[in-house]
Amino acid sequence: MPPSRYPVWVSVLSILGARFTSFAPPLLRSGVVAKVSIAQHILAANEVVAEEIRQMLTQRGIRTINVMSSPGAGKTTLLEKTIERLQGKLGIGVIDGDIETTADADRIEAAGAADAIQINTRGACHLEAHMVRAALSEIDLSHVGLLFIENIGNLVCPSSWDLGEDTRVVVVSTSEGDDKPAKYPHMFATSQVMIVNKLDLLPYVDYDLEKVKEHALTINPHLRIFEVSCRTGAGLDAWCEWLMAFARGNAEVARKIVQEV
Amino acid sequence: MHELAIAQSIVDVVETRATECNAARVKSVRLQIGEASGVVADSLSFCFEMLTSFDPVLAGAQLSIDVMPHRARCRHCATEFAITDFVARCPTCDEWTNEILSGTELQILDMEFDAS
Ligand SMILES: Nc1nc2c(ncn2[C@@H]2O[C@H](COP(=O)(O)OP(=O)(O)OP(=O)(O)O)[C@@H](O)[C@H]2O)c(=O)[nH]1
Ligand SMILES: [Mg+2]
Ligand SMILES: [Zn+2]
Repeated sequence: MPPSRYPVWVSVLSILGARFTSFAPPLLRSGVVAKVSIAQHILAANEVVAEEIRQMLTQRGIRTINVMSSPGAGKTTLLEKTIERLQGKLGIGVIDGDIETTADADRIEAAGAADAIQINTRGACHLEAHMVRAALSEIDLSHVGLLFIENIGNLVCPSSWDLGEDTRVVVVSTSEGDDKPAKYPHMFATSQVMIVNKLDLLPYVDYDLEKVKEHALTINPHLRIFEVSCRTGAGLDAWCEWLMAFARGNAEVARKIVQEV
Repeated sequence: MHELAIAQSIVDVVETRATECNAARVKSVRLQIGEASGVVADSLSFCFEMLTSFDPVLAGAQLSIDVMPHRARCRHCATEFAITDFVARCPTCDEWTNEILSGTELQILDMEFDAS
């Protein structure tokens, strides 16, 4: 929500009973308590940048996905496997958020991404739109139809920042406990897709998969759910099919798919 | 701890507004924070105080937070109801489709200041 959408009306009430309908600071005497309307979304500055990113990417024929999870749920592995499977069908770019190191971007590049770039947040627990904008000025998007933004591993903070994505995917894994939707409802309420990863570990962990799915759906009845194992490859075909359908949602991206097949 | 980043965003907006208004001292800032916005009001107040404590214009400014309840209106039977723990099922007809009435706000309403 850009601040300019709000009328900048200013009503200044002084203890003297004077009223001004526009800015008139010089008329105020010291010791006067004045009240001024702000009427602005707290994250308006971020939303303006996010909207700018969304429009730019849409115009360039790129669909964008913000991928979030707790640390180690398997975001980077999922992206590696996805890139391998979509090789030759659709160019994939990745912006990799990490607190330190470029390890994840290196893995993504090795998997065959069109281009990948790392954002180091130097301690920040989530990505913000201005960081993505800076990364976009460095990444080569010329062969990209689908852009993934791997957020910082954290189920709380990233959900409040719009990065200009078209959709949000939250990844959970069977090794991290089955209480995640219950404990972090905002993340699940604001995502469109949930991926349950590490299905191969189900025999070894106490994880009630049905409970997780049911709880996630009570928080967000529209949530699309995929059950996968990046280790065995189970469920990845369905996920990749959905991705291709999602990518075709932008006519310009659909054109890129046809060209490259 | 994204409350720190949220508090920083508030400080940025308030500082800009204070400069525009030639404020000598900001006395209070009023916010609307939705119950389902993912922001914890207490942590936010703490972070705001921490960020402003050495600022000549903002030090001592009170953050007053109206916590907005998470509420919805059912699209089937028009019942208005409170949403608990993000579970938005109509208590009258058990349907899930509804319109959110409040609870997701992250809004700065206004501020009071001493004019210079
Ligand atoms: N058994 C098993 N292990 C997996 C699976 N997917 C990922 N892993 C492992 O889980 C660990 C963490 O995976 P990453 O892909 O680095 O997780 P991440 O979410 O990117 O982690 P951060 O970026 O640090 O938040 C690695 O050792 C992976 O090999 C899976 O399906 N099954
Ligand atoms: Mg990773
Ligand atoms: Zn109803």
